[in-house]
Amino acid sequence: MENFITRRRRKELIVAGLLLAVAVFAPMAIRDVTALNVIILSLLFAGLAQAWNIIGGYCGQISLGHAVYFGMGSYVSTLLYVQAGLPPSAGIFIGGAVGGLAALLVGWPCFRLSGHYYAIATVVVGEIGYLLFLNWDYVGGATGVYIPIAKPSLINLQFGKDKLPYLHLVLAFVAATWLAAWLIEGSRWGYAWRAVKDDVVAARSLGVNIFASKMAASAISGFFTGLGGAIYGLYVGYIDPDSVMAGHFSILIALPTVLGGVGTLWGPILGAALLIPLKELSSSYLGGSGRGVDLMLYGAMIIVVALARPQGLVSLFGGRKHGAP
Amino acid sequence: MTLETVLQVAAGGLLMGLIYALVAAGLSLIFGLMDVVNFAHGELMMLAMYAVFVIWQASGLDPMLQLPIVAAMLFLGGMAIYRGMIARALGVQFNRGMVQIFVTFGLAIFIRGAAQFVWGGEFRSVTNTWLSDRSLNLAGVYFPLPQLAAAAVCLAAFAGLLLISRTEFGKALEATREDREAVALIGIDRDRIFALGWGLGAGAVGIAGVMLAGFYYVGPNVGASFALIAYVTVALGGFGSMGGALVAGLLIGEVEAFTAVVLEPSLKQIGVFGVYLLVLMFRPRGLFGKL
Amino acid sequence: MKRRQFIIGTGALAAASRAAQAADDVVIGVVYPLTGNGAAVGLDAKAAYEVAAKIINDTHAPIGVAMGKGGGLDKLGGAKIKLVFADSQNDPQKARAEAERLITQDKAVAIVGSYTSATGATISQVTERYEVPYISADNSSPSLNQRGLKWFFRTGPHDEMFTKGMFDFLADVAKKTGKPAKSVALFYEDSIFGTDSSNVQRKLAAAAGLPVAADIRYRASSPSLSTEAQKLKAANADVLLPSSYTSDAILILKAMNEIGYKPKAILAQAAGFQESAFMQGAGALAEGAMSRSSFALDADKLRPAIPVVNGLYKAHNNKDMNDNTSREITALLVLADAINRAGSAKPDDIRKALIATDMPGSQTIMPWAGVKFDETGQNTMCNPVIQQVFDGTYKTVWPFDLAAKDVVWNVGS
Repeated sequence: MENFITRRRRKELIVAGLLLAVAVFAPMAIRDVTALNVIILSLLFAGLAQAWNIIGGYCGQISLGHAVYFGMGSYVSTLLYVQAGLPPSAGIFIGGAVGGLAALLVGWPCFRLSGHYYAIATVVVGEIGYLLFLNWDYVGGATGVYIPIAKPSLINLQFGKDKLPYLHLVLAFVAATWLAAWLIEGSRWGYAWRAVKDDVVAARSLGVNIFASKMAASAISGFFTGLGGAIYGLYVGYIDPDSVMAGHFSILIALPTVLGGVGTLWGPILGAALLIPLKELSSSYLGGSGRGVDLMLYGAMIIVVALARPQGLVSLFGGRKHGAP
Repeated sequence: MTLETVLQVAAGGLLMGLIYALVAAGLSLIFGLMDVVNFAHGELMMLAMYAVFVIWQASGLDPMLQLPIVAAMLFLGGMAIYRGMIARALGVQFNRGMVQIFVTFGLAIFIRGAAQFVWGGEFRSVTNTWLSDRSLNLAGVYFPLPQLAAAAVCLAAFAGLLLISRTEFGKALEATREDREAVALIGIDRDRIFALGWGLGAGAVGIAGVMLAGFYYVGPNVGASFALIAYVTVALGGFGSMGGALVAGLLIGEVEAFTAVVLEPSLKQIGVFGVYLLVLMFRPRGLFGKL
Repeated sequence: MKRRQFIIGTGALAAASRAAQAADDVVIGVVYPLTGNGAAVGLDAKAAYEVAAKIINDTHAPIGVAMGKGGGLDKLGGAKIKLVFADSQNDPQKARAEAERLITQDKAVAIVGSYTSATGATISQVTERYEVPYISADNSSPSLNQRGLKWFFRTGPHDEMFTKGMFDFLADVAKKTGKPAKSVALFYEDSIFGTDSSNVQRKLAAAAGLPVAADIRYRASSPSLSTEAQKLKAANADVLLPSSYTSDAILILKAMNEIGYKPKAILAQAAGFQESAFMQGAGALAEGAMSRSSFALDADKLRPAIPVVNGLYKAHNNKDMNDNTSREITALLVLADAINRAGSAKPDDIRKALIATDMPGSQTIMPWAGVKFDETGQNTMCNPVIQQVFDGTYKTVWPFDLAAKDVVWNVGS
C-alpha cells in the first residue's frame, strides 16, 4: 500500500513537471494579448484556488472571506513599493506573510465556529476588512493607490506591454501552490487535516490537535492568497478596496476548487481553466450587449457543474476518489 | 446630541430592525428545516420587488393590495426552486455542504442577470402609494408610514409562522427537522414538506419585498445589501430560531443606527459586524441557537 | 502654425486619396459598465455614443462642426466611425483588459470612457502603454490628469472645476438676493467620487469662510439612510451639498422627508441627482433641488443644436439628454473632429490634432466656452452651470445670463 502511494505520488510529480514545461514554452507562440490576459488570470486564480483548497478542501473549512488576505497582500506589497520604495520582487513575499498572519488572526476567533456559522463569519470578516480599507485614508481609502509605471525589470516586476513575463510569474505562483499541496498531501499534516475534515470527533480521539491543525492550514492558505493578491495588484497597476477586497473575490477564489474538485491536487487548476476563461470571454463578448446574458451564463454554469459533478470536474478524468490518499 | 435625536435614531433603528427580521425570517425557516443556507435569498426579494413594480405600473394596484398576489407568486417560485435544484443538491453524494452553497450562489448570479435582461439596469421606484412620503408624528418623533406598515406586517408574519408551527403541517415540519429519516416511517413525505418549507421561506421574503417596494428603489443589485444583513441576522439569532431572528433583527437595527451616530455613518455596518462577532465568541451558535 | 497646417493639410490629402478607394472604418473603443452596479448609467452612455456616431456618420446637420457636408469624416474619404463597446463591470481590472483587447484585437485608434474614476485610472494606464489617445468623457476625479500622462484627454470638467462653479454660484446668489448661505453640510458616499468631491468642497468652503455644519461620509447603497438624515436635520445647515449616485439620492430625500426635514437649499454634485430615475423615484421631493451640471438642456437659444441632438437621443433612448450623456456625445464629437483634422487614423496623428483642438463653444452642444486642452490633457474651457428642479425638470438658473428661470432661494427667509 505504502509503496503504491509513493509510486503514485511520484507519477503525479512527473506529470506536473511535464505540464509545467509545456506551460512555460507553449504561450510563447501566442501573440494575442486578450488570450494571454485570460491565461494569466486563469493561472492566477488556479493558484489562488489551490491556496483556498488547502483550508477549504484538505481541511474542510468553507472560508468565504479570502478576499481579505488577497487584499492585504496587494495593499502591503503596493504600499511598501509606493511609500517605502521596497521593490515588489521582495514586497510580494511580505504581502504574502501579512496575508498568512491575517489568516491566523481571523482563524483564532472563527475556528470555534462550525459549519454555516463559520462560513457566514468569514463573509463578515471579509466585509469588515473591505469597509476598514475603504475608510482608512492612510492606505488611500476609496481613492486607491496607483502603482507608478516603472522601467520594465525583474526587480520591479513590471514588464510594460510584454505579457509573457507576467505569465511566467503567475506560472511560478501556480507551481508553488501545487507543490505545497502535494507536499501537504504526503505529510503528517495532510493526514491530520483530512481527519479533521472527515470526522472531528474521530480525529480528536486519534490525538490530532484540531485547533492547531486548522490554524496551520489557514496560515499557509493565507500566505499564498496574499502572495497572489500582491501579484494581481502589480498586474493591474491600480488597487482600491473594490478591486482587491470586494466580497466577490472570496467567491471567485473558492469557486474553481469547488467546481474542479475539492481536496484534490488537480481540481483547482481544472476549475480555474474552465471558469475564468468562460467568465472573462463571456463578459467580453456578451457583456457589450448590456443585457446581463453573461451573468446568466456564468450563473447557470455554476449550477449545472455543481449539480452534475458534485465531486468536481476532475472526476471526469477518472482520477482517484475524492479526498482519499 | 439632543434627546429628540436619540429618540428619532432609536425609532429609525427599531423600524429598520423589524424589516431586517422580516427579510431574515424566510432564510431562517429554510435553514432550520434542512440545514441549507439560501445564498439567493436577496435575489428572491429583488424579484418580489420587481413584481410589485410591474403590477403597479400596469394596473396602479397599491403595493398593500398586492401582498397576497406577490407572496403567492414567490411561494410557487420557492417550491419550483426546491423541486428543480435544491432537491438535487441535497441528493448528491459528495460535498453536500459546498454544492448547496454554490448552487444557490449560482442561482443568485443567474437571477441578477435575468433581471437585467428583462428590466435593464435602471433604478425604479413605486411612487404615490397610499402610504408613501407620509409620517406619523409622535411628540416630535417621526414614524414613516411605509416603514411602520412593514414593521406591523413583520410582526404579523412572525405571528403567522408561530401559528403555522402549531398546525398539523407545522408539527410535520418540526418532526422533519428533528429526524429526517424517521419521519418517512410515520408516513410523512419528506420531499413534500421540504418543498412547502421552501415555498413558505420564499413567500416570507416575498412579503418583505412587497413592503420594501413601498419605500425603497428597485434594481438588479438591490438584494445584495439586504441579504448580507439577513445572513448576519440569522446567524446572530441562531440558525433555525424564529424568535432569534426577530431579536437579532431588532438588535442589528439599533446597533446600526447608533453606530452611525457615535462613529461615522460609513462605518455603521462595522458596528453590526463587530457585535455579531462578539456574540459568537460567547455563543458560537447565536443567541438562541441550539448548542 | 501655417507650416504645421500645411503639413497636416498635405498629409490629409494623401490620406484622403488613399481613403477614397477604401474609406476604412475608423474603430473607436468605448468602455463602460454595461452590467452590474453602474449598468444604468453605462447603458445610457452606450445610447449616447450611438447617437453621436450617427451624427458623425450620417449627417452633421445638427451641429456646426467642420466635418464637411457628407456623411463620415470627409478628410478621410468619408470614412465612418465604428464603435466597439466593451463592458467594464465597473471593475478596474476588467476595464484594463477590455481596453487592451479593443486596442490590439479590434484595432481601436482611440478609447473613450468610462464613468467611474477607478476604471478611468486603469484604462489610461493601458492607453499610455499602447500609445493611443484616451478621451475621458465623464471621469471626474481631479487626480486623473495629474499623473503626467501623454495620451490622456478629458473633454469635461473635473470635480475641482465643478465644485468651484458651485461655490461661485453661492457667492453670486448671495450678492443677487442679499441672503448669503451661512453654513454648508457635506453628505457624500464612501467612494472615490464622494471622497474627491468632499475634499474639494471642504477646501472651498474654508476658503469662502463657510462653516461646515455636518461632514457625513455614508456607506453607498445602504439599506437605510434614516440616521444620516437625522444628523443632517440636527445640523440644519443652510445648504446641503450631496455627492451621491441615483439610489442614495432618492433614499436620502425620502429619509429627510420622513422625519419632517426639508433643507433650505440642496446643491448637488450632479451624479444621481441628474438621472431620470432619480426624478421618477423622488417625485415631488426633488422640487427645488439644485445641481451643478455641465449641460443645459434649456440653453437652446445659445446652442440651437441642442433640441436637434436631443431629438435624436430621445428617439433612440426614450429620455432626454442629461449631464452625463451630453458629455459623452461631446467627447465623441471632439474626438471625431480631431481625427478628421488629423486626416489620419494613426493614433499619433490623432494625438497631435487633439492637442491642437480649439473648438469654440458654439460648435458644441454644451454651454461651455469651448474645448481646448492644457498640457495635462484637461479641457480648461468647460465651465459648469447650476440647475434647479421646477415641476420635475431641471432649468438652468446660473450663470445668470444663461438662466432660463430665476433661482428660487429659500436661505435666510
